[in-house]
Amino acid sequence: MSILTVKNLTKQFGGLVANSNIDMEVQKGSITAVIGPNGAGKTTFFNMVTGVYQPTSGEILLNNESIVGLKPHQVTKKGIARTFQNIRLFGAITVLENVMVGMHNHLHGGLFGTILNLPRVRKEEKEARREAYRLLEYVGLESFFNEEARNLPYGAQRKLEIARALATKPKVLLLDEPAAGMNPKETSELTKLIYNMREELDLTIILIEHDMKLVMEISEHIVVLDHGEKIAEGTPDEIRNNEKVIEAYLGKGAATTAS
Amino acid sequence: MKNWLHTIQQNKRLQALIVGLYIVVTFFSLYLAQKSVVAFLLLLSSLLLLYFTTFSNRVKWLIGGLVMVVLLPLAASQGEAYQSYMEVATLVGIYIAMALGLNIVVGMAGLLDLGFVAFFALGAYTYGIFATGQANNFMPFGHYPLSGESFWVFIFIGCFVAALFGILLGVPVLRVKGDYLAIVTLGFGEIIRIIFNNLDKPVNITNGAMGLASVQPPRLFGIDFMYPSQFYYIVLVILIAVIFAVRRLEFSKIGRAWKAVRENEIAAQAMGIHLVKTKLMAFAVGASFSGMMGVVFAAKQTFVDPTSFTLLESITILVMVILGGMGSVPGVILGAALVTILNLQVLTELTNWLNQLSLNGVISVPDALSPAKMQRFIFGIILILFALYRPQGLLPAKNPVFNEKELKDTDKLVNAGVQKEATQHVHLDS
Amino acid sequence: MINEVLHTLPQVLIDGLTLGAVYAIVALGYTMVYGILELINFAHGEIFMTGAFVGTAILLTFAGFGWLASMPAIVALILVLVVTSVVTGLLGMGIERVAYRPLRNAPKLITLITAIGVSFLLQDIVRFIAELKNGNYILTGPSLFSGQIGIKASSISSIFNDASVKSSFFIVLIVAVIMMVTLDFFVNRTKWGMAMRAVAQDRETAALMSVNVNKVIALTFFIGSALGGATGVLFAIQYGTIDPYIGFILGLKAFTAAVLGGIGNIRGAMFGGILLGVLEMFAAANLPVVSHGILGAEYKDVFAFAILIIVLIFKPEGLFGKVSVEKV
Repeated sequence: MSILTVKNLTKQFGGLVANSNIDMEVQKGSITAVIGPNGAGKTTFFNMVTGVYQPTSGEILLNNESIVGLKPHQVTKKGIARTFQNIRLFGAITVLENVMVGMHNHLHGGLFGTILNLPRVRKEEKEARREAYRLLEYVGLESFFNEEARNLPYGAQRKLEIARALATKPKVLLLDEPAAGMNPKETSELTKLIYNMREELDLTIILIEHDMKLVMEISEHIVVLDHGEKIAEGTPDEIRNNEKVIEAYLGKGAATTAS
Repeated sequence: MKNWLHTIQQNKRLQALIVGLYIVVTFFSLYLAQKSVVAFLLLLSSLLLLYFTTFSNRVKWLIGGLVMVVLLPLAASQGEAYQSYMEVATLVGIYIAMALGLNIVVGMAGLLDLGFVAFFALGAYTYGIFATGQANNFMPFGHYPLSGESFWVFIFIGCFVAALFGILLGVPVLRVKGDYLAIVTLGFGEIIRIIFNNLDKPVNITNGAMGLASVQPPRLFGIDFMYPSQFYYIVLVILIAVIFAVRRLEFSKIGRAWKAVRENEIAAQAMGIHLVKTKLMAFAVGASFSGMMGVVFAAKQTFVDPTSFTLLESITILVMVILGGMGSVPGVILGAALVTILNLQVLTELTNWLNQLSLNGVISVPDALSPAKMQRFIFGIILILFALYRPQGLLPAKNPVFNEKELKDTDKLVNAGVQKEATQHVHLDS
Repeated sequence: MINEVLHTLPQVLIDGLTLGAVYAIVALGYTMVYGILELINFAHGEIFMTGAFVGTAILLTFAGFGWLASMPAIVALILVLVVTSVVTGLLGMGIERVAYRPLRNAPKLITLITAIGVSFLLQDIVRFIAELKNGNYILTGPSLFSGQIGIKASSISSIFNDASVKSSFFIVLIVAVIMMVTLDFFVNRTKWGMAMRAVAQDRETAALMSVNVNKVIALTFFIGSALGGATGVLFAIQYGTIDPYIGFILGLKAFTAAVLGGIGNIRGAMFGGILLGVLEMFAAANLPVVSHGILGAEYKDVFAFAILIIVLIFKPEGLFGKVSVEKV
């Protein structure tokens, strides 16, 4: 069953076509990778799905319901969460609070309830703290919980982005270059984490990644973008041997030389 | 020195001794030397000392309350300067509440508001118009001025009106991006002042530049509140309520959303935070504190006119926030107290002293350099130096420190780990 | 009512053009700095004010020595303009060096706060010096070009009233046009102008192309402040009386003009300035008429701010700016 369907998605910035007529079906519970050379329009694609950019034309359906025109926070409420390529943590607050911000829409403490410190609000906050801590444990960051987020090492910051996104209780999780800047050990831990999340949390995962080892290892379906267009899609094996893909990455003629 | 401080920090009994001794000594110095402004200020600073102790919050509040409610008024009440001391203390309280309001907007939500005094003006005029005969000019029913008993209701009306205007102004203003916001709010601050200054025609609502005179004093059980020593208690009660409200909001869902918006708008949205709603709430809550204090201010001064609400006032409140520490509640309280006392006491005292010296022919200080006129200079220097060298302020904002034990599940479900998440979700959603 | 509006139109246009020219040049300073640093330089209005005081002080000194009577007014004007613009230009550069450069990578909020601090500081320093030298911080300079010229607008159409013009009006307009044309040439046709545009586009890449970014930013502040200071002189000549607080509101309106024309756009700022000046004078003359005295001329400031807010909400890129997309 497809959970996310994209039809004819196009985005233009003035004269520049960043995405052109992209079609995509993402199966529920799958791990899908979006790959392509730099500037292929991968992040633009994520930005449209999450409501940051409005598409010039085309459709995005989540569970057969259109999410085009929704604001980013509404998209999040619908069940799509994301991480960012250029890390965007809330640097000056603690790691635990970062995760708690992710729970925003699942907490109900209103203005007056909070000011009056009602037992209901107190209880909810306490539960939220515990749940945030569990999420930190899940991604392996529990020892940092009282640190300011900006003081975390780089790899940990990427993991915190994931924990924070999980806190919104998404159905679909979009990871934008989660392994960028990680060393091989961290990357292999991350690979395991992504795989586990899908298995244990009932998630559909779409990721943009340049690390081909990671991509080939965990994704069931790969979509290749180049110059804003989809040039290929298929299983890792199909993509590995696709001439167009090799050409896009290595230049014309590379495919024939390689074979 | 460090070692020495460390020892004190370890030893609560020693701290109690120091604080207790300090309070007793300063109490009696003020009690016996009524004219000593220094003694008055030293007694006030006992609260700062208290802040640095390691007592539990409850104990700190109790001792602080004792100083504010009993000791300070009692010590000051023995001489002629009583009312002027209480006047200073009352104004300090009013400015602290306003600075705490602006701190929500600037410090927590990261929105630079340069027209904040407008909300103070709204509160002041709300009470001023109905507590003088002014309302007769345009109200179709009722007799004005309303009696002083209405004051207590007007505290809430002022709070509400200011919050409402915070939202009304916020709706267009918050669509403006980042640094334009500063200039737009500055414009709005001026607009409101100009309107109050000119709203004497076609219908005379604000009495224009003439202002509203003889505002009704608050009345409770037949007693009129006329003196600063009485207003002191009104301000104290409101201030304590404001501090509690801010503290609770700061570490709640709402406070986290404000900080998230400040730190990174795009990521905040991706977490499901409604940007405009969150910013509007910061505007409204911040404005409401100012509105309440505006009502008190109008009643205390018994006179309201547009000159009390200039840009200089807005910047003064901003200086309080920057000086104390953006986002830091204790910091902003300290900043507001310092700036108000500087404005009301230190600068005037210095001016008097210098005038005295000039009169005696010791030195001659030109009138242009008189400290009372140097506000802009001093505020300018504070803003620049703090922005350059100590942007976190005197008492930087602190993050909550969570207790690991409390975070770990005590019930036996720990090993179920993530599987339990699912059930937990359902529980929270319902 | 239409007739009444038309009666005053010639005078409104003349006053509006004068004020608009002042706004336009001050707006250039805002727009250049914003274009290059994305910073609202609140202190720019104060630089304008400082220019007005420096210029008036020089004129008063000349008058004190009796030189003013013995030299042609135009020579005095040029002398004063040159000296003032060098002084304020250096002042602007100094402010950038001390207060803005150390914060170039700090959050925007912090830099804005320094800018307000600088602005307050300048107001008080100028007040202090003026009061010390003069006994009063409100200054009235000697009038250089005080002749009145009547314009017989009624001869064009009987519906217009006659207008009167101070001869300084022409001076203000001519000097303003010369400054704007020179700046436009400088920015678009010279090597340094190109470097400035390059830094405004992309600071890092410009630096890689061996453009000395710090130098270019300092130059931008120098030029913007020099123009602002010179405009201060023009303002003092045209309107006579100045005080240390004229810069803030005028600066705010000049910023409005810059936004109106599309911030970062130099020609846009010139156009925005003229437009705002004319609109404001029009509002000041006609708001009481149109509203039957309900809205006094004091509301002209409200009118200017309302324009700012409306533009920022509905067309934040201004009349001539480009829409920018934030990179995520």
